[in-house]
Amino acid sequence: MRNDVLADIFRKSLLTRVFEDRFVKLAMEGVVPPLLHPGAGQEVAQIAAIAALKDDDPVLYAHRGTGYMIARGVSMRAMLADCAGRAGGTNNGKGGIMHVVDTSKGIFGESGTLGGGLVISVGMGMAVKKKKTGQVVVHFFGDGGSNRGTFHESLNWAAVQKLPCVYICENNGWAVSVPVSESTAVENIADRAHGYGIPGVIVDGADPAAVMDAVRTAAERARSGQGPTLIEIKAIRLRGHYATDPQDYRADAAEVAKNDPLETLRARVISMGLMTEAEVETLLTECEAEVQQAVEEMQASPPLSPEAAFEDVMV
Amino acid sequence: MRTITYAKALNEALDESLQADEDVIIYGCDVGRWGGIFKITGGLQTKYGADRVFDSPISENVLVGAGVGAAVMGLRPVVELQFADFLITAGDEVFFKAGMWRFMHGGAFKVPMVLRLPSGETGAGPEHSACPEAYVMHSPGLLCCVPSTPADAKSLLKQAIQSDNPVMFFEHRRLYQQRGEIDDDAPLIPFGKAAIRREGRHVTIVAWQMMLNRALKAAETLAEEGIEVEIIDPRTLAPFDFDTILTSVKKTGACLVVEEGYRRLGVGAEIGARLFEEALPYLDRPFRRLAIPDVPISSIPALVNRIIPTVDQIVATVREMAA
Ligand SMILES: Cc1ncc(C[n+]2csc(CCOP(=O)(O)OP(=O)(O)O)c2C)c(N)n1
Repeated sequence: MRNDVLADIFRKSLLTRVFEDRFVKLAMEGVVPPLLHPGAGQEVAQIAAIAALKDDDPVLYAHRGTGYMIARGVSMRAMLADCAGRAGGTNNGKGGIMHVVDTSKGIFGESGTLGGGLVISVGMGMAVKKKKTGQVVVHFFGDGGSNRGTFHESLNWAAVQKLPCVYICENNGWAVSVPVSESTAVENIADRAHGYGIPGVIVDGADPAAVMDAVRTAAERARSGQGPTLIEIKAIRLRGHYATDPQDYRADAAEVAKNDPLETLRARVISMGLMTEAEVETLLTECEAEVQQAVEEMQASPPLSPEAAFEDVMV
Repeated sequence: MRTITYAKALNEALDESLQADEDVIIYGCDVGRWGGIFKITGGLQTKYGADRVFDSPISENVLVGAGVGAAVMGLRPVVELQFADFLITAGDEVFFKAGMWRFMHGGAFKVPMVLRLPSGETGAGPEHSACPEAYVMHSPGLLCCVPSTPADAKSLLKQAIQSDNPVMFFEHRRLYQQRGEIDDDAPLIPFGKAAIRREGRHVTIVAWQMMLNRALKAAETLAEEGIEVEIIDPRTLAPFDFDTILTSVKKTGACLVVEEGYRRLGVGAEIGARLFEEALPYLDRPFRRLAIPDVPISSIPALVNRIIPTVDQIVATVREMAA
């Protein structure tokens, strides 16, 4: 793995963490609704996965975190505007933080119903295949979402048609308060790939090089017409399900906090000599300033007219 | 002018749409090799190839959801569900994805897809017999066609495929073999424009598809008794041409809706509510509905015929209204 790529993943992961922590603060202050599902613990893997793709490969995501958007350079100001009901958002206040969209950066949105994006991804795959655009459609979702029937229907039909799709399940061990062991009959979500005759790959979400490798291999396979791959990222959820979730159902919170992939990456970046401690501190300050600027710009934008409630229903 | 069946009209609309636009694709269970269980897509795979007209697994959620995804990426998918009832099977994809994907992403996408929904009683029981168009009317973001004649079927289907919005297209199975005149040079019928199928001054009847046929029959009997009904075929339920009904009701002062859907909160309930809001001064008799009473549809003809509005019921109801 190239050093500059690793450093970039670190920079974007740190920015994502700072952005989301600030988002939670804004939620506590009542500036935005507390609807963010923090991606803390998963952002390194999300950003590494995006780094293995081409910039115009369309991405569908689930509700957990904003790493995908930050990786693709979606405006933080616009994402905050979506949530605060200000003008200049990505979805004109219609979808808040959960339906961030920027097709110019390949961000194609999210299904509010878990598993609902899987079916959409199949049609997107059919379209790019028919139009021979060379793109690969990538869909991120959680272990909980993989228990919807849409998972079965979508992976089966995507495999039958050999669609250029990559399915990335971020298994963080929890669906809200229910541990995956109590909801899911197999140990690994990737094992289900056998049921569709496609490769199922497991990677460690704290290892950006492994994530990149797996996604690159899957994307190449998809691009060359061999069909989809199911990748399972073994991830950890550092925070509550949503911004202000007290997590009182959870005994492992303190334990997983010791294994924060962002901390691991930070230590690695320093030990490899890519950055000094001082440079990391400077980077942190820069990220905070960038987020601060986005917050200020968002707050300077005019509120959306309530009449926007009637817009964007149909063409 | 030619005379063709409703089924042939639909097939021609699909054929001409495939011909006109490379982005049109057709898929669904059995629509490819076999031409569909009701043979509406017959011959199309042979003519346009299996990458444009193809069979799918029995996976209604992904059938509809993939239509949305393909539409978002610039195709114009025409998806067939074998039975209109399966609209509910694919509820998330119909109501949330087709109806709201554009909205919840602030207008970032267009969703030009058509879902073909063969409706009406088949004798196969409550999950294969409904006319569930009221569900579609109830939920935002969807257009809804209910063509009653071969000419309308062809025109509205072509229009639906050209539309940049998601269209739920109800085809009534009992009409497939019905013949009608078609003018190949006529311009496409716009959405939201009702047809007045018969003019009259005593009672307005709103009806479409099989119920329209029954209303037209009833009108003949009633005419012999000196009762002249005006019959309005809405053609599309979303958008809905309320103005044509209002104009008619101003003349007749009475309105009956005959529908093959369930009565409670059905299409007739909506029309009645709007008349109550906007036309009360013009109604000199109570608004009436004939619909399927709120029980599931059976499989035995005697039981089915007991609950679907009949010509006799229409005649009797109009007589009461005109008395
Ligand atoms: C169909 C559906 N059921 C339930 C929910 C409510 N819900 C939102 S997120 C969530 C848990 C999802 O767990 P998982 O997919 O593992 O993702 P994670 O939150 O762990 O990232 C639930 C139950 C929903 N949005 N959609």
